Amino acid sequence: MICQRCKNEASVHLTERKGGKRQELHLCMACAKKAGLGLPESPPNLALDAVVQSLIVANVGELVGELAELACPDCGIKFMEFRAQGRLGCPQDYRVFGRGLLPLLQRVHGATRHVGKGARKRPGAIQRLRLRSQLREAIAREDYEEAARLRDQLRLKDIHA
Amino acid sequence: MTLDDLTRTSGEWLRGTGPESDIVMCSRIRLARNLADFPFTNRGSRTEKTEIESHFRSAISAAKLELLYFDVNSLSSLDRQFLVERQIISRELSGSEGPRGVAISSQENVAIMVNEEDHLRIQYMLSGFRLNEVWDEINALDDQLEENLAFAYNPSLGYLTACPTNVGTGIRVGVMLHLPGLVQTKQIDKVFRALQKINLAVRGLYGEGSQAFGDFYQISNQQTLGKSEQELIRILTDVVPQVLQYERQARQTLVTERRQHLHDQVSRAYGVLKTAQTISSEETMLLLSSVRMGINLGLIDDLSIATVNELFIQTQPAFLQKLRGSELGVEERNVARASHLRSRLANGRMATGES
Repeated sequence: MICQRCKNEASVHLTERKGGKRQELHLCMACAKKAGLGLPESPPNLALDAVVQSLIVANVGELVGELAELACPDCGIKFMEFRAQGRLGCPQDYRVFGRGLLPLLQRVHGATRHVGKGARKRPGAIQRLRLRSQLREAIAREDYEEAARLRDQLRLKDIHA
Repeated sequence: MTLDDLTRTSGEWLRGTGPESDIVMCSRIRLARNLADFPFTNRGSRTEKTEIESHFRSAISAAKLELLYFDVNSLSSLDRQFLVERQIISRELSGSEGPRGVAISSQENVAIMVNEEDHLRIQYMLSGFRLNEVWDEINALDDQLEENLAFAYNPSLGYLTACPTNVGTGIRVGVMLHLPGLVQTKQIDKVFRALQKINLAVRGLYGEGSQAFGDFYQISNQQTLGKSEQELIRILTDVVPQVLQYERQARQTLVTERRQHLHDQVSRAYGVLKTAQTISSEETMLLLSSVRMGINLGLIDDLSIATVNELFIQTQPAFLQKLRGSELGVEERNVARASHLRSRLANGRMATGES
């Protein structure tokens, strides 16, 4: 069926009753929208990932100097990779990339300091993250003796009760 | 309880009880948490993700939480889709790879996803407008898990998350609203814009990426850093009543100005749902939405809100296929959907006995 106002294919079909008379209306999406009859627009922030991504690119600025080269010693992610993917690699990245992240946090949350519930202190987490990254490297170079040693160390120092 | 048993029950959040339940389908809070000594999920190895899963499972048994764990990695795609439809897991968890899972309570109030974007995504839902109650529940649950798990946290940035948009409290406070009045009176966009201005997000029934579905909209906070959990909840408990008021006014306008038209629309919708032999998912959503509003306006009196709420979920593709016990093509699903609707709606009030 063809739109009653232009020659495009009609995709909005309405039946209205006016004073007992039945009126049919067939419009294409564009004409329906112009007439205020379009479907409600989908919620505005559907593509959240895309929004986050554009915010990240807009707020961590151009990658200049050492920031561009910066990599986390624990998980190995580079700041550049975070900028491209929008996801950090490990909890330590907040410390390692702090300078690059603050403008983004300010823009997204309007704040840079946590207020609210606090977690209990669990010392030893950073050390364990590091052991895990050494373990990954040992496995990658097929040094299984070292890997076994690191695994035992991790087992000894488990922080999860 | 197995996954198949879930086809015979329905979540507490669909019960249609609690304050403002004519418009507020449910209140939900989720917390993002990560274990302090592991890389985030996107950089975790298979072994590490398995370890996270096992630390989590030890923590729930140590805390004596009565939760049922589903290993999502070993579920069929139909079963994963079934859990997505029930709002138990996200599309992201369903579609990703590697060791991952979800722990749920028998009433489906609690759903804790493991190895989603964050190691843990803890969710608590209740039907109606009850955010403070939901917070008390989820806060206690978070404490119980923390007894046995070391969460990634630093005093200045709070709970550390894979995406900086969740850092701090890691909290997402949301309500799911049924807003057919604002849609029909074409005021919904205005409301969205107003909510966006105060930094609240609006999404469809199935979260990001999904179109508004059956006139259901989820409203939630976006800010997670710099305000406490209570403050973020208060923003929603202050704003939602205004949206409810607009929706009630819109419904009143429809009743006074177009009563006959509205009654006709509602009755036809109910008629079609009760008698159709084949029906698409889109049409079902549209008609169920009219019927739901019709019940709330007293235009239908032999059907409960709970039944209609359940039917929104039970007419989704995976549910129908689980019910039939076999994979169905689109045409077959449309027939199965119509048949399920006829049987649930045949006895009016009697049809609520399932849950």
